[in-house]
Amino acid sequence: MTSEPSLTSRRKMLATSVGVIGAALAALTVWPFWRFLNPQAGSAQAQTVTIDRSQIEVGAAHFFEFRGHAAVLVQPAPGQFAAFSAVCTHLGCIVTWRAQEQIFFCPCHAGRFSPDGRVVGGPPPRPLPSYPVTVTGDQIRIG
Amino acid sequence: MGLKQRAFDWLDLRLGVRDILQQNLTHYLLPRNINVWYTLGATLLVLFSLQFITGIFLLVYYIPNTEQAFASVQRIMNDIPYGWLVRFLHATGSNVVILVLFLHMLSTLYMAAYKRPREITWIFGFLIFLVSLAMSLTGYLLPWSQLSYWATTVATESAGATPVIGEAMIHFLRGGPAVGEFTLGRFFALHVMGLPLIFALLAGGHLFCVRRIGVSRPPFGPDYLPEAPGTSFHHTDHSGGIPFFPNYVVKDLMVIAFFLTLLAAGAFFAPQLSLPPEAFEPADPFRTPPGIKPEWYFLAAYQLLRILPNEFLGLVVQGGAVAFLLFLPFIDRGPERRPGRRPLFLGLFIVGLAGFLILTVWGYLS
Repeated sequence: MTSEPSLTSRRKMLATSVGVIGAALAALTVWPFWRFLNPQAGSAQAQTVTIDRSQIEVGAAHFFEFRGHAAVLVQPAPGQFAAFSAVCTHLGCIVTWRAQEQIFFCPCHAGRFSPDGRVVGGPPPRPLPSYPVTVTGDQIRIG
Repeated sequence: MGLKQRAFDWLDLRLGVRDILQQNLTHYLLPRNINVWYTLGATLLVLFSLQFITGIFLLVYYIPNTEQAFASVQRIMNDIPYGWLVRFLHATGSNVVILVLFLHMLSTLYMAAYKRPREITWIFGFLIFLVSLAMSLTGYLLPWSQLSYWATTVATESAGATPVIGEAMIHFLRGGPAVGEFTLGRFFALHVMGLPLIFALLAGGHLFCVRRIGVSRPPFGPDYLPEAPGTSFHHTDHSGGIPFFPNYVVKDLMVIAFFLTLLAAGAFFAPQLSLPPEAFEPADPFRTPPGIKPEWYFLAAYQLLRILPNEFLGLVVQGGAVAFLLFLPFIDRGPERRPGRRPLFLGLFIVGLAGFLILTVWGYLS
């Protein structure tokens, strides 16, 4: 009779130990497969893109891929550059640049953003995320 | 009442899971003198599952096209995180699977577990073995390396020794006169879909037979007596035996852990055993690398073809050996299963095994 509680606690301890070791082994096994399926995770954050200044005229926009997403570089005034994510913050469509109106326009639900990324109309809940831009001579570096 | 208990009761009320678990785990009794060789079936289930999982993962990035196959495999190895690990596990795993299949088959032969009433179980098992060899052969070509290209060329070329239809057979296997894009296409389809489907059906049939007929009793010990052939279906139960769970499951887990360790050791420390240097050169149909040889499990067949005076005779001998093993339960029909009381069988077993090993080593060294 006296040995029963001790036996129960030993079983519980054994089951817990096996559970913890099993969970650790499972995590160790799953991790490589998880990373295998996410090849760009982590590494993309450090990525920068360099664009030649001749590729973008004043008042125009240049679309490019940045960290796995569509991005856009604009030059609203001579020598003034800004880069944004081109993914609309409403439902993920890619915005277009309307040079006449100097706005970003989302073709899906008519979201509108100013040249500095602010929402000026339509359903988007947030401004377009912006990226740091550095101009060195004729090269514009984003990121 | 805890949540776990309530969830279990809920399921039990609808599906009778308590009864299923009792019948298949705690009340499923195995012979008291069961030995470690009986764990190889469970080990194969685990190893095959790992092959399917790693294979599906490799499919995510592999491109079955002669222009891109090699580059896609190199990308898996060099650019995709842990891609090298997934590929090494798959390549080394295929070798470990064949090794365990050999051991499973040899132990079944030695203990004569193929005999009545388990003839169908044996046939399903032997067909699984052949399908596994076919899966290995078809998978070998997919990386489109020098090794895979020329090993497949040699393997398909041997079909040409068949009289009259030899050329047509080579053409059919390759999808053309030489190994090329059509060969890759059909080998890919077979490797990832055709053969796994056949494998699943055969494995289902094999497991059904094992469970339906019951596990055979090892033919050892003073109490063992051969079973008298019955006239109606009889499930072999082992009253007074040991429960499958937890007793035998622990033994299963031990052997599974042993072979997983072997697999991990091969994948981490000796991947070159599965992937020699030729496996890292892209296929070049105009340059045969010197000394190209098949995988170790095909070496005996390869050496036999080389030492016999003509290739057709080699194919006949190999075909005869495969047919003999497939239909063995219908050839060796006596009820006696104790190896010591079957001198003819034991002699054949030893000579056959020694012959296979000698041919394998000879093929490797020559």
